[in-house]
Amino acid sequence: MKKFFDRNNFVLAKQDGKQKKQSVIVMAAVIVFFILSAFTFMNFLYCLSDCIGSIVCSSADVALRDALRSCPIFLSFFLTLSGLMVAHTFYRNESPVILHKKAKKHTAIGIVLGALIIVYVIVMRIAGKYLSLVEGAPSPIYPLDSVLYALLFIVLGVLVMLFLKKDAASQLFCGPSRAPLQKKGRGVRSVFRTFWLLIALYGFCGFFYSFFIVDFSIGYVPYSIAMLLVSFVACLTLAVWELFYNNLTAEKRKEFTLPLAVISLGVSVAVTVFYFLALKGNLDGPSNVGFGLLPVAFSASVNFATLIVVIAPLIVSVTALIRGLSRRKHK
Amino acid sequence: MKKKPFCFVSAVLAVIMILSLAGCTAPKKYSEHLNDYVFTARYHDNFNILQLTDIHWNVNTSTKTSMNYLDKLFKEVSDHLAATQGEGAKIDLVELTGDMFMLANSYHLNTFVDYFEQKAEEYGFIYAPIWGNHDRHSLYHPNELAKRFKNAKHCVYFEPSDDLYGRSNYVINLTEDGTKNSSVAWMIANLDSGAAFSETELSVFRDYDYIRPEQTDWFIAEHALAGENVPAIAYYHIPQDENEKAWKAVSEEGADIRNKFFRLEEFADNGNEKYASDFIDRAKDHNLKAAFMGHAHNVDWTFEYEGVVIGLGVKTGPELYFAHIDVESDDEAMQAGLKSVGITENFDLIGASLVTLTGRDGSFDLEHLYFNERKDGDFAVWVKW
Repeated sequence: MKKFFDRNNFVLAKQDGKQKKQSVIVMAAVIVFFILSAFTFMNFLYCLSDCIGSIVCSSADVALRDALRSCPIFLSFFLTLSGLMVAHTFYRNESPVILHKKAKKHTAIGIVLGALIIVYVIVMRIAGKYLSLVEGAPSPIYPLDSVLYALLFIVLGVLVMLFLKKDAASQLFCGPSRAPLQKKGRGVRSVFRTFWLLIALYGFCGFFYSFFIVDFSIGYVPYSIAMLLVSFVACLTLAVWELFYNNLTAEKRKEFTLPLAVISLGVSVAVTVFYFLALKGNLDGPSNVGFGLLPVAFSASVNFATLIVVIAPLIVSVTALIRGLSRRKHK
Repeated sequence: MKKKPFCFVSAVLAVIMILSLAGCTAPKKYSEHLNDYVFTARYHDNFNILQLTDIHWNVNTSTKTSMNYLDKLFKEVSDHLAATQGEGAKIDLVELTGDMFMLANSYHLNTFVDYFEQKAEEYGFIYAPIWGNHDRHSLYHPNELAKRFKNAKHCVYFEPSDDLYGRSNYVINLTEDGTKNSSVAWMIANLDSGAAFSETELSVFRDYDYIRPEQTDWFIAEHALAGENVPAIAYYHIPQDENEKAWKAVSEEGADIRNKFFRLEEFADNGNEKYASDFIDRAKDHNLKAAFMGHAHNVDWTFEYEGVVIGLGVKTGPELYFAHIDVESDDEAMQAGLKSVGITENFDLIGASLVTLTGRDGSFDLEHLYFNERKDGDFAVWVKW
């Protein structure tokens, strides 16, 4: 196993207790913030889709009114994302200098966003735009829940800042570490990873919600299963990439790129084909069981939005395949 | 340890098989239990049916604000009935013609049902929800919606598991004593006009759904059960092809069709001759007197087609989108609408529609209420058909 991974991951047997503990905490934080990000992203998509719906129907004034009311929901997603970025910076831990710089940046963004949410809600309440601090919808205590959520993140942010300050003086953090990323093509990779992350966040939430909101009893079973698989694969590809592939040694990466790409491509193609076959059998499936999971699809009145989710793992697989083949060629 | 992946794969396959089998049992035939679809209420002259449509509670909705609007709307309708029909007059039935929700969650659903239960108690009405295309697009399970409505004390709702297309197809027969034992004076049919579908798996855009022939068969069978001479009104969500055909006949060919109110956007119907519904064409031969729907918020245009009054209800509440009526607008359709209603000031096209059944002979009155909240006094104008 030691040969397999090039980082002080918790999978290594020879970690001391403190390192192991920090590794587990960091991993748990990444997972928790990923899940929170996924749920806040779904809320974000729901609010956004409704606003898009109003704009598409030539009611920009209604879209603006709704966006102003739901601004804390939009900001809560970015707030949670900043938490995920902080946790991921610790998880990645390219070097103490980079860790400190990036973690401070993301934490500061989180604290500012949190403060912004609180100020926004107070101003809107004073202006009478919110009838009460517990006006209700989409939760029973909205917008107070946004304020409490923001407060929690501010407290967490302050704690992280204090930790970073202490760490700079006495090197408290000894969790996992990984070689710095290549600078070449960093911008393009960053854009693609952001897109991929969003798809994976959607995938996780779509997969989770599909168990609760998809009606398997009214004759859309193949389409429902297809939606479930599409969501799952969108999330799975990122998990495999981030939790497995990125932890491999450089040597093992070269070895694993091609087989992983082939497996990933096979799974992606199979799911895509299954999706279209299911759609062929349930042509009214998206409208009857799919759009609750894919709000953007219906608000834009188009049928192909699911393809974005289907295609993301395909693009990743094809890119990995090209890279794997090219590495084999240059061997 | 090696057994774990095998166990996982087996479990996944088992779940998929169970789910697949769930759709394999033969559904019950609707024709074998027609009576189950029938609810009854006591008929009296001046039976008032209030149509609320496209309320559209969603993630961005302030339920408190929306309920404030509905509170005022109910009061306005109640005061209007007392003023025009006498003190005892009240709303008897509220027809919720679809899109009550869109991108909503269980909190919205529960608050909505609780609110309507409270109002039903307060004003003494029953209410009948019909699925719209957007009621299927939310973060609650569709069966949760059905269950909440089924279990609500003042709600009339039926959704069997059988071979009839759609979810909310049911009938409210208005009878002499309010039970199934006496003769039927009016039949109110609620139909689920579906959501949307793709023509093929590769279609880029969706087509809106339409009332299927088997639903028309069901309507005719239910009508036969009620009595061939019983006048009927149908409520559903998505306009069928007759609306657009009538509009074209009036606006392009100058056809002499009685019509009134606003048509400020397309009807958002299926629009494809291939999927033209046979509902109106066949139901009109079975004493269908009127058909009312929702769906297109900027439209409440109503017309008469071979003895059947067909029209969209006024969109209820300011969620999602609605038209701002501007008396100085150059838009021909807006001016035509303004001329037909005789209103001379700006307002928003939101409110409700009221049908009053005036006799057992199929006669009824129709009024549209334009109701806007305003800081300097609410705007409330009733316009008769």
